[in-house]
Amino acid sequence: MFLTRSEYDRGVNTFSPEGRLFQVEYAIEAIKLGSTAIGIQTSEGVVLAVEKRVTSPLMEPTTLEKIVEIDKHIGCAVSGLIADSRTMIDRARVEAQNHWFLYNERMKVESVALAVSNLAIQFGDADAETAMSRPFGVAMLFGGIDENGAQLYHMDPSGTFVRYSAKAIGSGSEGAQQSLEETYHKSITLKEALKSALTILKQVMEEKLNASNVELATITPENNFQMYSKEQLETLIANI
Amino acid sequence: MMSVQTMQPGARETAAGGPRQRYFYPYADNGGTVVAIAGDDFVVVASDTRLSSGYSIYTRDQKKTFQLSERTILGSTGCWCDVLTMTKVLRARMQMYRHEHNKAMSTGAVAQLLSTMLYHKRFFPYYVSNVLAGLDENGKGIVYHYDPVGHHDPGKCYTGGSGGALIQPLLDNQINYKNQENVTPEPLTVKKTVSIIKDVFTSACERDIYTGDAVAIQVITKDGITEELFPLRRD
Amino acid sequence: MSILEYNGGAVIAMKGKDCVAIASDLRYGIRLHTHGTNFPKVFEMGPRLYLGLPGLLTDTQTVHERLKFRLNLFELRENRPVSPKTFGAMVSNFLYERRFGPYFVEPVVAGLDEDGKPYLNVMDLIGCETETDDFVVSGVCNEQMYGMCESLWEPDLEPADLFETIAQALINGFDRNAGTGWGAIVHVIEKDKVTTRTVKTRMD
Repeated sequence: MFLTRSEYDRGVNTFSPEGRLFQVEYAIEAIKLGSTAIGIQTSEGVVLAVEKRVTSPLMEPTTLEKIVEIDKHIGCAVSGLIADSRTMIDRARVEAQNHWFLYNERMKVESVALAVSNLAIQFGDADAETAMSRPFGVAMLFGGIDENGAQLYHMDPSGTFVRYSAKAIGSGSEGAQQSLEETYHKSITLKEALKSALTILKQVMEEKLNASNVELATITPENNFQMYSKEQLETLIANI
Repeated sequence: MMSVQTMQPGARETAAGGPRQRYFYPYADNGGTVVAIAGDDFVVVASDTRLSSGYSIYTRDQKKTFQLSERTILGSTGCWCDVLTMTKVLRARMQMYRHEHNKAMSTGAVAQLLSTMLYHKRFFPYYVSNVLAGLDENGKGIVYHYDPVGHHDPGKCYTGGSGGALIQPLLDNQINYKNQENVTPEPLTVKKTVSIIKDVFTSACERDIYTGDAVAIQVITKDGITEELFPLRRD
Repeated sequence: MSILEYNGGAVIAMKGKDCVAIASDLRYGIRLHTHGTNFPKVFEMGPRLYLGLPGLLTDTQTVHERLKFRLNLFELRENRPVSPKTFGAMVSNFLYERRFGPYFVEPVVAGLDEDGKPYLNVMDLIGCETETDDFVVSGVCNEQMYGMCESLWEPDLEPADLFETIAQALINGFDRNAGTGWGAIVHVIEKDKVTTRTVKTRMD
């Protein structure tokens, strides 16, 4: 895949002569091993959906947590090394609360993405002022409501964050992104987005989709961040 | 009070040749009065222009209001060096916010930031009396009043500084219709508000030696900020 | 805290056209604790002569009684009513006798003299008199009342307007002070009558 792999893929902060940071690129590759996550932004709110890989019938699926609340008005779906994501989620939560404490207002989704991206690039060999010895192996979808309406942001291990109308990450992301591009339109409703997120997940998942191997959440101006319960999921799945 | 509470450092002898007690009072009171009154779609902020220390006047031409943004003005009196430092830090924090979040701070956000900044100096406070005035997200006038360590209270009209005690009951009576019966409150206009402000300053400088010379009146509306200087007694 | 602020309390007086008004709050408290809500600090000393005694309330009562004693003696000896100006001098003199161990009261004398002319006088706790042509305030919320008076008062107010002005100045003033309030009493003194009203206020 990489033509000139040599010594340059060892140091996390060393550019190759071609101007590449291999460790960061490998981290981005690591995401492609993760479970699929989808985010869709509509005018009524944002939908986040992820697949959960239940590898054993003895595993308790509810303990796999890939969609989390950052603040009342912001949710986050992750894919990649989940352990790494905990650090970043914690930073996002701290930043959101700190913003409320300082300014008595809700933090913008973009600002949360910016704050987390600052953490994402704090890796390196030096002891001082680094959060991590290697890049974080996780991609994140931040969905939320702020003064600009419903917003969806994607951030990868390089710390790059971009706003999307709809975005898929993880192992099934290529197919899922293609399906999103086909189904997404500007006037999509929240209900349609929910359905389309589940339909696309169903297509790209290896397992048969059911209420315990997906997680679903919406962030709307009326109800803020809301996780879907097992019962709610079952009725939704029955309708696709 | 005047001899001990001075910024000049000194020493007190406890016994002949015995230990000396050193003292330094780090605060000065430079006087001044600020008033802010909010209407439905405007807010008026005013301060006098006298800066003094004890019985002497430093200048007759120093207003105590600080424009923080297109829609927010801070009125600040007390220890003038603290006022200058505090507003400088506040402006820097607002600029950093602008860069980080790509937008101007709302009046409510500035209000919370100022409170937090003041509280962070809880054990060596800025010796200041703050009145923050501005338009909120909906274009409505709002005024916040602060104590030196960050307690704050949003309201319709507040005053701070050396003439505050003289002016506040008048505003309660004239703006909030306190202790008035059988009156139908009529909405404030800019014209009426400015005229009340001129009246209250004229009254305050009759009895408060730290208030006088002139009053600088600023009006914030959605169309921008206008300013007027109204002379007061200079004795 | 000054001993003059120990009990709280406020007195205000104003001149009008051929009339004079004097008023006080009704609070009786010790520091921040309110004990009673019916303690006027203004006393009738003659048909058209009133005395306000804000300050340390034990001294308010003592000074009131001792001045009444002296006033009665004066009227018996002289067989004539005392004029407000003379009474002011009497109060001042009485206070200065305790120059180095004073009564902690700052009295206000208000009344109409023998020609029916309004008279106002305020003094400090050792009897330094100040006569004014407009209004006087005394007690713990004097700053607030000064602010009100400077805006509301105007010369030659008729008795009804004078009542409204003094009541508004007192009540709005003492509402912004924790040591004063809990009702007010106002006396408007005219040549042929004295109108006394208690005014309902917020009770906190």
